Amino acid sequence: MTATNRERPRPSWLPRFWAVVRYEMLWNIRKKKFIGIVIAAFALVTVDLALPAFFNVSENPDFAATFSVGNLVFFLIALVTVMNSISGEFESGTIVPLLTKPVSRTTVFLAKLFAAFVIIIVTYTVLFIYSTVGGIVVYGPQDNLQLVPLALIGNVISTFVWVAIILAIGSISKSSLFAALGGLVLFIAFVFAGSIIASVSNEAGALNYVPGGGATGALNVAQRSQNITIQNITVSMNSISTGTDNIGTNLVNYARYPSATVNITRTDVFSTPPKVIQLYTESIGLIALRSIAVAFAYILVFLFIAWFAFKRAQILE
Amino acid sequence: MELVIETNNLTKRYGALTAVNKLNLKVQRGSIHGFLGPNGAGKTTTIKIIVGLLRPDEGTVKVLGHELHGGKNEGFLQTFREQADSRLGIGYMPELPKFPKHLKGSELLDIYGRMYGMTEQQRKEQIPKLIEMVGLTGRENDLIGKYSKGMQQRIGIAQALLNSPELVILDEPSLGLDPVGMVEVRELVKNIAREGITVFVSSHLLFEVEQICTDVTIINRGTALASDTLQNVSGLLTGPAMIHVEVAQMSQNIINAVKSLPFVSNVTQTGNSLIIQVTTHEDVRTQVSKEITRAGGIIVDMSQKTSNLEDVFIQLVSKDQEGKTQ
Ligand SMILES: Nc1ncnc2c1ncn2[C@@H]1O[C@H](COP(=O)(O)OP(=O)(O)OP(=O)(O)O)[C@@H](O)[C@H]1O
Ligand SMILES: [Mg+2]
Repeated sequence: MTATNRERPRPSWLPRFWAVVRYEMLWNIRKKKFIGIVIAAFALVTVDLALPAFFNVSENPDFAATFSVGNLVFFLIALVTVMNSISGEFESGTIVPLLTKPVSRTTVFLAKLFAAFVIIIVTYTVLFIYSTVGGIVVYGPQDNLQLVPLALIGNVISTFVWVAIILAIGSISKSSLFAALGGLVLFIAFVFAGSIIASVSNEAGALNYVPGGGATGALNVAQRSQNITIQNITVSMNSISTGTDNIGTNLVNYARYPSATVNITRTDVFSTPPKVIQLYTESIGLIALRSIAVAFAYILVFLFIAWFAFKRAQILE
Repeated sequence: MELVIETNNLTKRYGALTAVNKLNLKVQRGSIHGFLGPNGAGKTTTIKIIVGLLRPDEGTVKVLGHELHGGKNEGFLQTFREQADSRLGIGYMPELPKFPKHLKGSELLDIYGRMYGMTEQQRKEQIPKLIEMVGLTGRENDLIGKYSKGMQQRIGIAQALLNSPELVILDEPSLGLDPVGMVEVRELVKNIAREGITVFVSSHLLFEVEQICTDVTIINRGTALASDTLQNVSGLLTGPAMIHVEVAQMSQNIINAVKSLPFVSNVTQTGNSLIIQVTTHEDVRTQVSKEITRAGGIIVDMSQKTSNLEDVFIQLVSKDQEGKTQ
C-alpha cells in the first residue's frame, strides 16, 4: 500500500523555468570561449567596415541597412553558444544533479534554448549598433535606418538554423566535440557545395532549400543600379543571394522594393571570358519569405530532434 | 504502513548484463533504510531509476505516491512531468556528485533552490543553515571548481536537503570523506531522520549501515537477498550463536547445569573456559550466568558473539555467489 504524496503546494512553472535560464546564462557569460568569439565578431565587423573604405569607397548610404554579420559569424556564434549547452552537461556529469531537480526535461531544454536566444539577440544588437554607428562615421549619413532591426532579426533567424543543427548533434551524440566538428563539417560542406553548384549547375534553385547562401542573382531596381568599380572589378550593389544566410538582407530589400524581381544567374567560370548565364526570374518577396520558411523548417526539425533525443536520453554518467 | 518507495519486479539491463533483476524494494515512511550491497550490485542503477535518470526495462516504480514507470504514464513518449512533480519532495545526492565548476557554492544552492520553486525568503533562511550544517562555512563563496572531493560531497549533501524533502536519497554519502567527515555524515543522517524525513541511503560500509539504519535491504547481482528491519536481518544468520564463559573454578556441576538449559545445543570445555552454542539469537547471558552461579561457579568473563550484519552480509552474498557458479 502506497499512500499518496503529502500535499505540498506545487510551485508555478515560470520561476522554475527562469531558474534554469539563470543557470544557463551564468554558464555562458563565464565561458572564456564566448568572450573570445564576441571579440572575434567585433573584429570581423570592423573588417566589414574598413574594407570598402580601403578600396576608396567613401559614400554608401545603404551600408547600415544592408549590413549582415555574415555566415561565418552565424556559425561561430551558434557554435559557442550551444555546442556544450546540452552535451557539456553530460560530459561534466552536471546533468545528474540538474535533471533530478523538479524541472522537466522539456523545461530544461526550453530554458537552454531561450538563454541561447537572449545571448544571440544581445550580441547581435551590440554588433549592429557598432556597424550602424561605424557606417555613419565611415560612409556618411545612412538611409533606411528604420530597417536595421529587420536585418538584425534576419541575422538571428539565420543563426538559429545553426543553433538547431548543433544542438541536435550535441543532444544525440552527448559530445561537444562531435557537435562542433559535425557542425563545422556541415558548414563547410554547405558553403563549398553551394558555391560549386552555383557555378556549374543550372539547378541553382535547389540551393534555396539547404542552409547557406542559396542561388545568386541581381535585383532589378532602377534606383539602385549604381555599381562600384574597383580596379576593373565591378561589384554590383544589387547582387542578391537567396539562401537562409541572407534572410536579413532579403527582408530589407523586400521592405524597400516590395514588387522588385530578381534575375537568378550563374557565372560559368570555365568559359573564357567567364560568362553570366540567365537561369530564371522570381520576385524578391518570394525569395525573402521562402528563405524564412526554409530556415524555420530546418530550425523546427532539428530542434525537435534535439528535444526528442534529450527527453529520451538515459543518464548513464 | 506507508511506503515512500515501492518497486515491483524492477529490472534494468545494460546490453547483456542485468544490473537490476526483478527487485521488489519497499521503503517505509519515517525509516532510515540502508541499501547495502557489494560493488556492482546494482545500488546506483536502482537509485537512478527511482530519481528518473534511467528507464527500467521491466517493472513498476512508485515514489511518494507518484507512479513513475509502469503506471499510466508509460508510453513511447513518457510524460516526465509526473517525475518532475515527484522530485519536489525528494532530495537526492548522487554518487560522487559533479556540480558546475564556474558557480560558487552559495550560488549553486541559490539556483537549485529556485528550481525547487523556493521563495527568496526561504532561500535566505535555508542556505546559510545548510552551509553551516555541512561544514562549508567560510568556503561558500569559493568556486566549486576549487573545492576538494570531500567538499563537493558536502555541498552535495547540502543540495539534497535544500527543499526540506520528505525523502532523502543518498548514494554513498561518505565516499571520499575523511574519518571525521564520515562521523559527521552519520550524525547528520540521524538528525535528518529525527525531523521525520525518510532516508534511503546506499552504502557498502556495513558498520555505517549498522550504526544508523532502522531498515536494511541487501542487494547482490541486482536481486534483494534480504529486506527487513535491521534487527530481523541481523537475525537471519543461520547456525548457532556462541557464548564464551570463563569461570574461576571449573566443575562438572557447572557443565551439567549449562547443558540443562533448553536453548543450549552444545558445550565444549577447555580449562576454565566454556564455549556454549545456543540455538536462539536472544541475549541469554543472564540465564546462563544465573545457572552457573546456582551450580556454584564464579564467572570471571563472559561474552556473546551475536550475529552481526557483517556475518549476514558475507553469508548471504557468498551463498548467492555459490548459487551462481552452480
Ligand atoms: N553505464 C553503464 N553501462 C554498462 N554497464 C553498467 C553501467 N553502469 C553500471 N553498469 C553495470 O551495472 C552493474 C550495477 O552497477 P551499479 O553502478 O548500479 O552498482 P553499485 O551497486 O552502485 O556499485 P558501487 O558500490 O560500486 O557503486 C555493474 O555490473 C556495472 O558494471
Ligand atoms: Mg554505486
